[in-house]
Amino acid sequence: MNYQPSLPEHNDNVSHQHPLREFLFLLAGLAACALAVFWALGLAVDVVADHVSPEIETQINRAVSLRLVAKESFAPRQEAMLQALTDELKQCAGVSQPIQIHMRQATEANAAALPGGHVIVHSGLLDKVASRNGLAFVLAHELAHFKHRDHLRALGRNVLLIALSAALSGAHSDVTQLLVPVNLAGYAQYSQQREEAADREALRTVACLFGHAGGATEFLEAMRATEDRSSTPAHYFASHPRTELRITALNSAIRDLRLPVKPAQPLDKGQ
Amino acid sequence: MENLLLWVFLVALGFFFGRLAESRHYRSIVRREKEWLHLPTTTSKHPIGDAGDMPPIARSRLAHGSVVVSIDYFKRMLAALRSLVGGAVQSHETLLDRARREAILRLKESCPDADQIINLRLETSSISNGSESSIGSVEVIAYGTALYFERKQ
Amino acid sequence: MFMTNIESVPGKTILTCHGVVSGSTVRAKHVGRDIMAGLKNIVGGELKGYTELLEESRNHAIERMQAQARQMGANAIVNVRFSTSSVAAGAAEIYVYGTAVTVG
Repeated sequence: MNYQPSLPEHNDNVSHQHPLREFLFLLAGLAACALAVFWALGLAVDVVADHVSPEIETQINRAVSLRLVAKESFAPRQEAMLQALTDELKQCAGVSQPIQIHMRQATEANAAALPGGHVIVHSGLLDKVASRNGLAFVLAHELAHFKHRDHLRALGRNVLLIALSAALSGAHSDVTQLLVPVNLAGYAQYSQQREEAADREALRTVACLFGHAGGATEFLEAMRATEDRSSTPAHYFASHPRTELRITALNSAIRDLRLPVKPAQPLDKGQ
Repeated sequence: MENLLLWVFLVALGFFFGRLAESRHYRSIVRREKEWLHLPTTTSKHPIGDAGDMPPIARSRLAHGSVVVSIDYFKRMLAALRSLVGGAVQSHETLLDRARREAILRLKESCPDADQIINLRLETSSISNGSESSIGSVEVIAYGTALYFERKQ
Repeated sequence: MFMTNIESVPGKTILTCHGVVSGSTVRAKHVGRDIMAGLKNIVGGELKGYTELLEESRNHAIERMQAQARQMGANAIVNVRFSTSSVAAGAAEIYVYGTAVTVG
């Protein structure tokens, strides 16, 4: 035999499809599947959350709630005033579990509902509201989160998608890490929906207690004045809808429910 | 949001620099393969040529060439996505093709005066940095017997 | 195209040697097969899904090697060897290599 070497003209051992096209195609397909699964699992979580008994809810809350240090309150009279207003709102809000108000010193105006019936109110909030109605709306919004069991729903959703991905491909795999931004996007949309629902429920609560809807949008209007107006993409991932949209939604709800609007009672901030 | 941007940045970086490195490597491989075409290589145990016409073998030695090639972030993401839906993982095909051809070239370059290389074998193994799901690099070793014929004086 | 894993094709003589040819594929399994494999881990037995996948990949790699040999003008491949290795999470590389020759 003799030796007649030659090199192949084209390389058969590789595919010649452009990798970027394949990547985008796979990514889009998988992201769509992940969002669809997220949506379907979310419906399941909602069904479960609606039917969970209050005893089980209390147990879950106890398992996940932060242990709030019972500090000496820095503004006992204001905290007592907030607590009294909350207790008045509870019947109209349809919340029977004990709710405890905690005031924290902070310039940023914020209020948060935590599992276990705790509501944290920042002292900066009291600077933004001038009427009792406005303050009642903020507290009623937090109470609505408890009524809707939003914490349970959020917990269920977050755990389910990551657990599914981890079960399929391993906890630290690249795919699970890839799904985290997709999860955040889906969760942000869901969270914004829950916030809108809480706004509507708070409006109903305030109208039930005071007989009218005056002052309900006071806090949001005050926030809008100081907020960043640009519509950046970050809003898509934010947990709350844009303030402008919340005010518009509330005003149209007031019109649709034909709620009367009367002057609001001024707030006695006390000291 | 920041995580997503960082991830996109890493993937883009991996893609651009990965493609650059790959095309540069392929050019080098093609050029060197042409240079080394004159060295007969076979996977058989017998040298190439008719038994009667071949000069006696002066000496022989075991020669080898090896290379470790790493993947970029873009390829890794692509493989991760592929491993969910199944199918050919194209990103790794080019990687292994390059690694194999490079290993054979290094084998030939390690014995420049050889007359033939027989019983060529290739072995591939993956080298990971500990976490089982992220494969860091691939090692290919090519080895064979290099034959040196007696020179006619 | 003749393929053997011995030095020659039985009954034929090698006329020309063209050099080493190889074919390779990297295949990934999909989550469906993964889940079935996970279940099979409990009861034991052959993982038919994986066997089929690797069988398919091996045939594809052989086809690629034959295509390369044809490009060089050969009509047989001798001394064929196979190798399987795992190169990425959930993906395996199959490659097959041999010497391309013309037999007559």
